[in-house]
Amino acid sequence: MNLEDLIPTDEIYIRYKVEHNFVRSLYESGLIEIVTIEKTQYVHNEEISEFERLWRLHYDLEINLEGLEAIEHLLRQVKKLQKQNRRLKNRLGLYE
Amino acid sequence: MAFIDYYRLLELDKSASQADIKKAYRKLARKNHPDLNPNDKEAQLRFQQINEANEVLSDPEKRKKYDQYGKDWQHADAYEEAKKQQQTSGGRAYSQGGYGGTGFGGSQGGHSYSGNFDDDTFSDFFEEMFGGNARAQGSGRGRHFRGQDFNAELQLNLSDVYTSHKQTLTVNGKNIRLTIPAGVENGQTIKIKGHGGPGVQGGPKGDLFITFNIVNNTKFKREKENLFAAIDIDLYTAILGGEITVETFSGKVKLNVKAETQPGTKVKLKGKGFPKYKKDDQFGDLIITYNIQMPTNLSPREKELFKELQKLRS
Repeated sequence: MNLEDLIPTDEIYIRYKVEHNFVRSLYESGLIEIVTIEKTQYVHNEEISEFERLWRLHYDLEINLEGLEAIEHLLRQVKKLQKQNRRLKNRLGLYE
Repeated sequence: MAFIDYYRLLELDKSASQADIKKAYRKLARKNHPDLNPNDKEAQLRFQQINEANEVLSDPEKRKKYDQYGKDWQHADAYEEAKKQQQTSGGRAYSQGGYGGTGFGGSQGGHSYSGNFDDDTFSDFFEEMFGGNARAQGSGRGRHFRGQDFNAELQLNLSDVYTSHKQTLTVNGKNIRLTIPAGVENGQTIKIKGHGGPGVQGGPKGDLFITFNIVNNTKFKREKENLFAAIDIDLYTAILGGEITVETFSGKVKLNVKAETQPGTKVKLKGKGFPKYKKDDQFGDLIITYNIQMPTNLSPREKELFKELQKLRS
């Protein structure tokens, strides 16, 4: 894994003004991945948009961690259904 | 955009307390937040309006001005000015249409969202009241924000996406040259990283999401990487067998029709379908369905021969 693609969690605490516990809890809930290299913890920059989304939901809408987990699960289902819907619409085109 | 009744938007009456406003905002924001309504443009717009209403109504000073001038907000400063002049000169009546809207100035507090908002979706009221840059200021909490994600739709013909090709797109006045991979599907969205709006307060750039609208300009029907086509063959080729020429995406191919082919028989031409997405060297199949064309306008001799055949079969 390229170190350039990783953002130290310490930087995230400062940049987003979040507590250590918040990032830790997201990791423990499986909502984000944390990589540890030589005692430093990092979040992959690919995951930052996901982290920001969770952060917005938590701080802007005051949704707690349990709520975030439930939302994540439901959003995954919504996206899956949207994809399925698109596929079915494309298939339907075969018979029109 | 026209004047928006913020109270109505937040389902409140004018006597609502700050606590009521906060509660109503939270309730509606949770319902319409773009993160909770992926690919729902209406929810995005509603959320934006709710945010805007909250920005104004949750600030006592702004709320006072809004309450006082309502839909005539754009004349508020001018009106105040005119009132002062009237008091000192004891003269002219105020003419509503005679002053340009200059806005109230001030800074924006509260929430900010880095989703995809078009410039023209903020009401004129908000624009005038807080200035043209209000939406780009970010929140009063001094957070770093990722730039807006931009969404664009690109219409292409099915024949265009048979091969990977480069295309220049203009998004928000900026030209972006991108490679459109072969095999992209109708309705599929791809992300172009870092081509969204600029970050706020040092935040990273947003992403550009392009949704493809693929118009089928061919005789083929497509399901993922497989193509389907119906081919007409004459009765005699169907019965006796023969060779036909079939058009595929990659050119014409010769095909042997087996003797006694039945109507609706399907034949698979392996690898003659559409390229697999991001696997340019792998192709789906072309599935051909035979439509057997019955002869019409038979001559007396043909009828005679068919009768003979009928007798042989019975």
